Amino acid sequence: MDLKISFLFTAFVLTASPFSAQVKNGFAFVPGGEYAVGKIGHLLNPYRKVTVDSFFIAKTEVTNRQFEEFVQATGYKTDAERMHNAMIFVPGLKEFEWKQDSSANWKFPNGISRGGIETKMDHPVTTISYTDAVAYCQWAGARLPTLDEWEIACRAGTSTDYFWGDNREQIKKYANIWYGRNHLTADSSDGYMYTSPVGSFDPNPWGLYDVYGNVFELCDGELYGNKKNKSIAHARGGSWWCSKNACNFFNSYDIGRINIHASFSNLGFRIAKNY
Amino acid sequence: MKPLLLFSAVLLSATISAQDDTTWKEPSKESQAYHKFRQHLSYPPYSYDKINEIVRKQVVTDSDDNLVMKDKAYNELFPREKFTYIMIHGETYSQNCDAMPPIQDEQTKIFGHLPDVFNEFNWSERQAKFLADNRDSVMVWIRECVSKNYHIGVNFKLAIQQINATEMIPFIIKTYKMKQKDNDLLTLLMLLMKDNSYPPFLSSASYKKLYGDNSNYQDFILATKANRELIIKRATDFYNGLKN
Repeated sequence: MDLKISFLFTAFVLTASPFSAQVKNGFAFVPGGEYAVGKIGHLLNPYRKVTVDSFFIAKTEVTNRQFEEFVQATGYKTDAERMHNAMIFVPGLKEFEWKQDSSANWKFPNGISRGGIETKMDHPVTTISYTDAVAYCQWAGARLPTLDEWEIACRAGTSTDYFWGDNREQIKKYANIWYGRNHLTADSSDGYMYTSPVGSFDPNPWGLYDVYGNVFELCDGELYGNKKNKSIAHARGGSWWCSKNACNFFNSYDIGRINIHASFSNLGFRIAKNY
Repeated sequence: MKPLLLFSAVLLSATISAQDDTTWKEPSKESQAYHKFRQHLSYPPYSYDKINEIVRKQVVTDSDDNLVMKDKAYNELFPREKFTYIMIHGETYSQNCDAMPPIQDEQTKIFGHLPDVFNEFNWSERQAKFLADNRDSVMVWIRECVSKNYHIGVNFKLAIQQINATEMIPFIIKTYKMKQKDNDLLTLLMLLMKDNSYPPFLSSASYKKLYGDNSNYQDFILATKANRELIIKRATDFYNGLKN
């Protein structure tokens, strides 16, 4: 049963000025109601029904250009800029290994020696932390989506592992992920080793781009049945680093966890707003 | 737009009703207990109270953050104390994805990979370098610590893999046989065979399932008697081949 776009109303006009770039990219409107989330047998995200209020969610991840507007307006310093402890990736590292680089931050996502974002202003901002994402949201008059809201918008009315069904092979059409067998050698087989410009791949049925791959998207909220742990945040959807062999999280149900100050070059976010 | 919304809501409701029989099954108490058991660390006794105090007061300044021990303080530690520090504290962050989330009937499975040691944290480059630079000592310290309770914590297991301590294979097997409970010791044996490209293992069905082209980090084989015995036999053969 395909509900597709019957739920979807795109809001092209939002009044708050910080949303200038978001207006261009647009938001999807998700009406409040009861939705099914989770996966049968998944211990961290079990299948269940949840009720949410109506909300807007950005169609794209927050870009470097948008984050730069925020920094220029506020003088904000990210966790990585203050603590010089960002984690970066370079080909040659073992699975799940990342390298600390004191020169890396959102302006130089994988360290100064690997270049800045000058030609990547329409890529998602990365090498920021949950704390930084919340600061951006406060400035923008927005918020992070909750774990449930993210999944509802990602699923777009589906109950399968992916918004097109259960066949993982179709991911190529929709997401920037890692196709190499491991991370010892570079993989750009989908056109990108690191991030891709937002919206480079096809959207989901509700018009959201890059819900799988590109960057892990930070969300608010706790795992089902868990108490709030103020030092842990959760992010979803997989990233350019994720492969089918390692961190197979480019799907509608898996939920990761990360320290709220950790800055990785595969970590970003999209924003949401109350209706 | 209202009729369209209403129609959609009805459709969604029907979809949800059709799946109402999918109730969540809580893992058995045995499975939950085994999941916790897999996360247990081994705590080296070398100046443990002193190091733990430093970590508590100087390194982890509040529950929000995870800091690195200052170079001066770190360099003043004796090697055994550094070992203790490294075994109880990861200085850098782990990435977002949870490589080994809990699953049903965990105690009946032998996984291809070890669980995370410090959840959202990991060893830094200087910590990994210390382990590699002091490989022989690390093996001695692990043996000393384990001899007291016959438990090789997940931090020790990862250290053994990191320093590629194939010399410890008989010790790992002996420790496993004491209780025959910790399937992650069998995982460790397989990782050592994999990391050293042991041909009989590379050509096995277990290897294909756990580390082959279509494998995933969360994959496992069942902890049957036959599988357990086969892993031990292969690891023993591998070790004996190294000696010759």
